[in-house]
Amino acid sequence: MRTTRSRCAHPLDELCAEVDRLWTSLIAAPPLHGWGSAPRSGFPAVNIRETDDALWVEAEIPGLSAADVDVSVDGDELVLTGQRQAAGPTAPAVEPGADGRAAVWHRRERGHGSFERRLALPVRVAADGVEARLVDGVLTIRCPKAPECQPRRVTVSEA
Amino acid sequence: MVTMGPMGSTADSHGAAAAVDSAAALAYQPHVDLWVEEGDVVIVADMPGARAESIDVSFADGVLSLHARVAARELPGRHLRQEYGIGDFRRSFRLGEGFDATGITAVFRLGVLTVRVPKVSGVRPRKVAVQGD
Repeated sequence: MRTTRSRCAHPLDELCAEVDRLWTSLIAAPPLHGWGSAPRSGFPAVNIRETDDALWVEAEIPGLSAADVDVSVDGDELVLTGQRQAAGPTAPAVEPGADGRAAVWHRRERGHGSFERRLALPVRVAADGVEARLVDGVLTIRCPKAPECQPRRVTVSEA
Repeated sequence: MVTMGPMGSTADSHGAAAAVDSAAALAYQPHVDLWVEEGDVVIVADMPGARAESIDVSFADGVLSLHARVAARELPGRHLRQEYGIGDFRRSFRLGEGFDATGITAVFRLGVLTVRVPKVSGVRPRKVAVQGD
């Protein structure tokens, strides 16, 4: 004999509603910084722009002071190297739920350690003229193009 | 709601509220480290491009909210590569009760915000004896 339970709340209905609520809140949340459409190719993430006379590279390196980062030109590559110190307790990790007096990690999303990022430059740059500035964790580098790579205006003379 | 400036001083952020809301679509969640030591919650958040004076840290109903307004910045020229977007940082954490809202400190340095939420002093786990008949 067939029984109908459709009028009764199924124990899993509550779970189903909870998963729906979680999913909705998850997709409504703003994206985690750096998770965009562009694939990440390494640390630090960079934005690069080009003008007639220079390449501009911007990188986000929060937590680093000017002394912690090096910028150099190696052949046709721009090289960013540096090191970021880990924050927080460095003692052997204590799992959440352990004794409340000990330091307990709950989230650890910020990377640390040394990094090297090599960026292929689309044109030759004048290495001596490269300038870099670091403000509030944002590194801005201006690489002037080599003179032979800059557009040259030709004066048209009349015969 | 307790609204705190970057160095723990109280600040009124109402004037900027309208501008913040209109830019909400551009917000990102910052990467964070979060740990608890001696009962205090410590949160370290990467907020590159923010300024100390444009960060709001508030604690209400057991929820700690971080919001950094990030000014638009654009390099000259045309795009060759774009690996990240630029916008405000927003994130909140449900910490629960037992924290001292007036004792919250926040420091912003080198694009990194460090917030410490102290446990209410005197709040200790108390064992309650259950009596039978």
